[in-house]
Amino acid sequence: MIALQLLINGLIAGAIYALVATGFSLIYSVCKFVHFAHGATIAFSAYFLYFLFSILGLNFGFAVVLAIAFASLLGYGMNFFVYKQLRKRKASSVILLIASFALLIFFESLILLLFGADVKTIGFIKIAKGLEFFGAIITPLQIFIVAASFVLLGLLFLFMKKTKIGKAMRAVADNKEVAEVVGISSERIYDYVFIIGSAIAGIAAILVGLEQNLEPMMGTNLMIKGFSGAIIGGIGSVPGAILGAFLLGFAENFGIWFLPSGYKDAIAFIILFAFLLFRPQGILGIKKNE
Amino acid sequence: MLRIKNLRSGYNGVEVLHNINLNANPAEIVAIIGPNGSGKSTLLKSIFNLCEIYSGSITFKDKNITNLPTYELIYEGISYVPQGRQVFGNLTVRENLEVGAFVMMDHELLKRNIRDIFDKFPFSEEKQNDYAFTLSGGQQQMLAIARALMQNPELLLLDEPSLGLSPKAMKELFEKIKQINREGIAIIIVEQNAKQAVKIAHRTYVLEDGKMALEGGREILKDKRIKNIYFGGR
Repeated sequence: MIALQLLINGLIAGAIYALVATGFSLIYSVCKFVHFAHGATIAFSAYFLYFLFSILGLNFGFAVVLAIAFASLLGYGMNFFVYKQLRKRKASSVILLIASFALLIFFESLILLLFGADVKTIGFIKIAKGLEFFGAIITPLQIFIVAASFVLLGLLFLFMKKTKIGKAMRAVADNKEVAEVVGISSERIYDYVFIIGSAIAGIAAILVGLEQNLEPMMGTNLMIKGFSGAIIGGIGSVPGAILGAFLLGFAENFGIWFLPSGYKDAIAFIILFAFLLFRPQGILGIKKNE
Repeated sequence: MLRIKNLRSGYNGVEVLHNINLNANPAEIVAIIGPNGSGKSTLLKSIFNLCEIYSGSITFKDKNITNLPTYELIYEGISYVPQGRQVFGNLTVRENLEVGAFVMMDHELLKRNIRDIFDKFPFSEEKQNDYAFTLSGGQQQMLAIARALMQNPELLLLDEPSLGLSPKAMKELFEKIKQINREGIAIIIVEQNAKQAVKIAHRTYVLEDGKMALEGGREILKDKRIKNIYFGGR
């Protein structure tokens, strides 16, 4: 029954990585630069939820809504105050990448300053007895995490496929110049992408915050997993990011069947390197349509 | 309808077009021909603010549109089909058309326009759910033009639409352009294929080294100076 338990653990990890990778990949595919500060959005939103719920004592549902809104606002703000200003000065995507690292470090330091280095727990859900089936154990919270992740990914898919803004996002991702020609302001679409991508980060933050302790570097750790997932699945492809993230979650958890659990993070890097060496475009990598 | 006055434009501070004057009237086909590197495409890019404008003015229906952001020009009634079969490859044919009418708020009108396009370009209905990158070169070019028609433009700018097309696809393309024009849409076409372009155009401008060298009707092909411009003889 170890296999089933590992499968469940992989599914839970994958569900969280998928949310991280999806928001990140969405921003990358449309804006064409690596937004590492996405990790800061996750960490800061989780701490914001902690602040609202555990310190201020707000109603949990209300705190969750505010935390998601905060994540959107934070992402939008990063784009507006930093990236947009750099783009106006014709900055390359490498400059934007460096700026995103700066933002990540800035916000992690801010968390340290405001909340301290010790771990925090949101503690909304009291430790519940896991449900057992076929010898494997899963808690109700974990079921909720997986379900929420799937519902959200489904909604995002419908949004990108069916709505006008979703189609415009895909058009800008495909060919920014032609999108402008048909009347789509790419800067406005970037705003939307940051709002939506960061909201997904906020939701990921809440789910992680319910499962694990909060610590100032949590954003970087999650971002590494999300980024690896996005590369494995094919950078720039949102379905690819989801696929890669789940693959990573399963690989990590099945890996510790053979290896000491301390190697869990190493597995992510080994897979990442293997893909970069042998299939750099990833599983569903978008090839240029020549 | 469109009036370009003393235009100087280029890229990164390097002037490509020098003192260009051009007019286009309603429901007219205007061809712009000239050898490689004469600045034909830059002329269209200037209208769509995709290059730098150093001086001069561009007006459309008496409104100054010089330096208007690219995405706003479509509101003025001008559509542009860039060079090189620029479709959204990862969107379906139908989605390409829908995105083409991004600024259109009226859902009924949008549906009607798609119906209209399906009638004019039958392949687009047949392949509406296929990704655009799977289309043939000729079909991609037709889709790019169809997408530009989605917003009911009064003026259509075509940048080398026949580039890289088979002779058969090219023939169809020029037929289609004439048909579009018969519905009252003015067209400015930039072409390598000078003969074909001049044949369908009401008036032709010839560019040479970023300057306007000649202007005239269909008889322009017989002008001796054309040969000099294209082959460099004096």
